[in-house]
Amino acid sequence: MLEEKEFIQQLLNPKTQNQAFERLLLDYQKPLYHHIRTIVINHDDTDDVLQNTFVKIFQNLKNFKGESKLFSWMYRIATNEALTFINQKAKKGGVTSEVVQLKALDNLEADIDYDGNEIQLVLQKAIAVLPEKQQLVFKMKYFQDLKYEEISEILGTSVGALKASYHHAVKKIEAIVTKG
Amino acid sequence: MKEFKLDNIPKIESGFKAPEGYFENFAQQMMQKLPQEETKVISIFQKRKVLAMIAAAVIAVILIVPIFNSQPTIAKEIDSATLENYLSYQTNINQYDLINALDEEDIITIKNNVAIEENTLEHNTIEDILVTNGNLEQLLLE
Repeated sequence: MLEEKEFIQQLLNPKTQNQAFERLLLDYQKPLYHHIRTIVINHDDTDDVLQNTFVKIFQNLKNFKGESKLFSWMYRIATNEALTFINQKAKKGGVTSEVVQLKALDNLEADIDYDGNEIQLVLQKAIAVLPEKQQLVFKMKYFQDLKYEEISEILGTSVGALKASYHHAVKKIEAIVTKG
Repeated sequence: MKEFKLDNIPKIESGFKAPEGYFENFAQQMMQKLPQEETKVISIFQKRKVLAMIAAAVIAVILIVPIFNSQPTIAKEIDSATLENYLSYQTNINQYDLINALDEEDIITIKNNVAIEENTLEHNTIEDILVTNGNLEQLLLE
């Protein structure tokens, strides 16, 4: 914890800021990329959202109060950016965010950046029809192996509610995939 | 397909991968983009803008409050035209009723308004009014 406080100080100090932020980028670019990618699906969109996320993080560092961990705070920004992106895209196209995600998944099959096999694609499509919260919990727990406590801090939901959401998500996904 | 259970099968990866070399350049590219985003001047300017907007909003509220506050009192009083019409056309009320309804204060007000006894109006003016206003003459006769 003390180390994180020190690191935040480095991020805020103009002299050490650049170096510290570069370290932050290197540490978090991959986890945040994968987190955003599971939400927006497409690589180019993920790239846009990831850049916006880091810009927001940089701009808001001075407002970071240290109430939550830096990690959860950044994940929260990334989640919000990704969801906003999906919702805006849906609004522009006059469709639901579910349709946007399913369409992106359809396009994945032809995408050179996606080497998923059939079962992976089936799983992704099953996830895409879940309610937003269940999707997030499932992706963070199953794909990214985050702890409930961590997800709780990121999404601002109680651990109990998250466990219930995850359980519902698993049941629904299993039913969808079984049905074919 | 037989019953699908996530726990019974090896973990399924998301299958999402970033293009080759993406992360090697990402941090560097990002660092180049950042300084443009954070110019202190802009942030202070924005703060000032926000302060100016708050100040404008407060002034607007201060200006609007008396208007809202004064409206109920206006609405409570019947305007004199309505009252006059009511009294003129309401045959049940005669002059004596009206006179009886006047209290001391009203009489003083009327005296002041009419101001004939007080001599605040000059004779010429009164005459002028009497000459030019036939209706008034009739009223006086009554």
